[in-house]
Amino acid sequence: MTQPYSGLRILDLTGIAGAYGTRLFASLGAEVIKLEPAGGSPLRQLEPFLENAPDKERSLWWNYLAMGSKSVVVDPMSRRESLQALIQSCDVIFDDQLPEVSKLSDFNISPKTIRVSVTPFGLNGSKRSWKSSNLIAWAASGVLYTTGFVDRPPVAPGGPAQLILHGTALNAIIGAQIALRMRKLTGLGQNVDISMQEVGLSMAPEMGVPMLLDDRVHRERTGNRRDLGRPFGLYPCADGYVSIVVLMPQHWEATAKWIHEETDNDTILDDVFRDPSVRTETKELLDAWVEELTMKKSRLELFEEGQSRGIPITPVNTISALANDRHLAASGYWETVELPTGESAKIPGAPFRTNQNWWESARAPFLGEHTNEFID
Amino acid sequence: MESSSDKSGPLAGLKVFELGIAIAAPNCGKKLASYGADVFKVESLGNLDVVRLLGSAWAKDDPDKSRILPDTSPYVPEMNAGKYSVGIDLKNEEGLKVALELLAQCDVFLSNISAAALVRLGLDYEAVKQINPNIIYTQLPGFGSDPELPYYRSLAWGPNQSPLVGLDSLTGFAEDPPAGVATTAPPDYMSSLHALVAILAGLEHRDKTGRGVHVDLSQFEATISLLGPFLLELDVNGHEQGRIGNASIWGAPQGVYPSCEPERWIAITADDADSWQSLQKLASPCLDNDLFLTQQDRVENAQVLDQILSEWTSNFSSDDLTVRLQSAGVAAHIVATNEDILNDSHVMNSDFYKIAPSTRLGRDLFSGSAIRLSDAPSRVRNAAPALGEDTREVLEKFIDIDPEKFKELLAAGSIFEMAEPDLTFKRPWDDWIHILIPGSEDARDVL
Repeated sequence: MTQPYSGLRILDLTGIAGAYGTRLFASLGAEVIKLEPAGGSPLRQLEPFLENAPDKERSLWWNYLAMGSKSVVVDPMSRRESLQALIQSCDVIFDDQLPEVSKLSDFNISPKTIRVSVTPFGLNGSKRSWKSSNLIAWAASGVLYTTGFVDRPPVAPGGPAQLILHGTALNAIIGAQIALRMRKLTGLGQNVDISMQEVGLSMAPEMGVPMLLDDRVHRERTGNRRDLGRPFGLYPCADGYVSIVVLMPQHWEATAKWIHEETDNDTILDDVFRDPSVRTETKELLDAWVEELTMKKSRLELFEEGQSRGIPITPVNTISALANDRHLAASGYWETVELPTGESAKIPGAPFRTNQNWWESARAPFLGEHTNEFID
Repeated sequence: MESSSDKSGPLAGLKVFELGIAIAAPNCGKKLASYGADVFKVESLGNLDVVRLLGSAWAKDDPDKSRILPDTSPYVPEMNAGKYSVGIDLKNEEGLKVALELLAQCDVFLSNISAAALVRLGLDYEAVKQINPNIIYTQLPGFGSDPELPYYRSLAWGPNQSPLVGLDSLTGFAEDPPAGVATTAPPDYMSSLHALVAILAGLEHRDKTGRGVHVDLSQFEATISLLGPFLLELDVNGHEQGRIGNASIWGAPQGVYPSCEPERWIAITADDADSWQSLQKLASPCLDNDLFLTQQDRVENAQVLDQILSEWTSNFSSDDLTVRLQSAGVAAHIVATNEDILNDSHVMNSDFYKIAPSTRLGRDLFSGSAIRLSDAPSRVRNAAPALGEDTREVLEKFIDIDPEKFKELLAAGSIFEMAEPDLTFKRPWDDWIHILIPGSEDARDVL
């Protein structure tokens, strides 16, 4: 087996904004070294902890996001030469600080090395030293304002899932991969600059300047349904919620027929409702009719029967629903990871499959586990 | 503004055959184009990309402009800047032949149409491998390409993917119904980014082994990979992460707070000890309270803390308070509306938004890449191509098609070219864009 990035060495100084990217690099064959302070990477401090026992080996964020990497702990003063040699040997460095305050600012970096920076607002511009978080980045990209119900405050997309930070990490690995292509031609490294704000903007053209200048429409929160038609959005059911997205004529026909059959509603078959704009104008009525159907059935009943009728309907899955999902069970998606207690646990497997067996995973390292490999 | 006609770049020479709809595959192709790849967006009149169907508000009600509607939505350049548009009817036997000839010349196949549709078209991996064994074949449909799997035929596009992968149920306040993710489609973008990782890894693989690869990406699976810590938590601790509004799972306070202006909000994160101290000092004496002494105190009393903090933030304008907080070292930002982004000088001076020539619109504006390479700025040959704009150029240049044959195929409807090439319009902003976008006047020079 040949992994695409075998032979490549990466130094990672980042937290969540880089970790998913270096985790992918490690699973695709690269040697990823987490250079940690004596107290451990900030990722090790993040709860929840295994069995809720706070410990630097037990953060579940660390145990997932640091998979496949190596841990090196070194005192930069007393082991300066070894550390300099290690830094000099790296093909890629992931950092989350501005260059002038980086832990590496006193070290020489090879001109062949690719330096990837993940920062709140990028390396340049008036906000370069501003601080951020997943929530702040959603706020700065416009998406936060339009998420939630109009009579409630804006609310973070994906809540605590840290989506912008993972998106930043994905942009970071891609930047490094492109720079590696270029290094093959030039022999030289370069700087890759990823701004969390821009990552948010690049995932939300709806909120962007080109859209606004073209239609001059202020975007507002629309709750969990959208006025592009009906049914469109989330509907309560017997054991949670389902999502129904009906735009196409054939999807409406099938939906109206189903509601008619289940609830004896004859009016819904009227031709006037074939027009999505009519359905939007009468949305209170339409939504009530839809709920008469959905409230009678469970998420999975609605999903299976609706899909068999050719309607785009899906369950609103919770974390436990995903863990029990029959498609994911059948596809062989899940893999196991070894935990610091020696037990194993179920986690998501490769995010994509290949016919070349690229993906290989290994547990997260103990603090300083690999120091002796790299530091004299 | 960079010259947008420079065709070099780290991916120069890479040829990509894209059969993309909406976001997931097109956004990936757009990024490849912005680093120098030649991306052929193969489009069929009978099955237009949904962004072609959206049109633009100013063009919709004007009968003159209705003929060029597919070229007018701002989503077209947002997802397709820098590509070639090649008009081929893939359901037509001769059309498919031409497509396969082009595909035989390509390094990458990229598609997010359903796996079943690719099989029906004769463009599944096994078929494509026959004509191009070393291709980096990348498909990213909703549920992967294995017809034996339960959801293989399920309909789940755009707004249905976020609820399905668990993001909607995590969005909202605990006491409310799930708010859902309505404005953006994270599974599309996250799948697109994973596909790009796979394609670039595929190029290394091909360099090392001389062989191609089949990348089979299920949007469902790729996006759930980002929820690993929560799935691990459920398995080992038996705790299920639910929606918690804007709160942080690591401390308090974090949230969205009111300002003195109506509907103007401020997002604040001060969930670690240092930023708490800075916040406490700035807001003194409001937060000097025994309820908030330790991190644990602040989490346990988060509701009271949010209440007191809201009273304090309500004294300030959102812009003023954001600057005060950031100057004190506290992460904060106005909860930006789309108008705020236009007024955000940090963004507007950063060259994130790009202007490039457009055959249909003179010039056009679109989001650039969030990946900034110091020695390879992203640049594109054009904004979005008009529907079928490059059919002739691409087929002549890359498969050396005979002019007679081209004429025949055109007459038979197997291929098509740009409609009404002389019909051009300006976007509503065109005359005053230079006031808003720094450096945009220069774009006139490259027309």
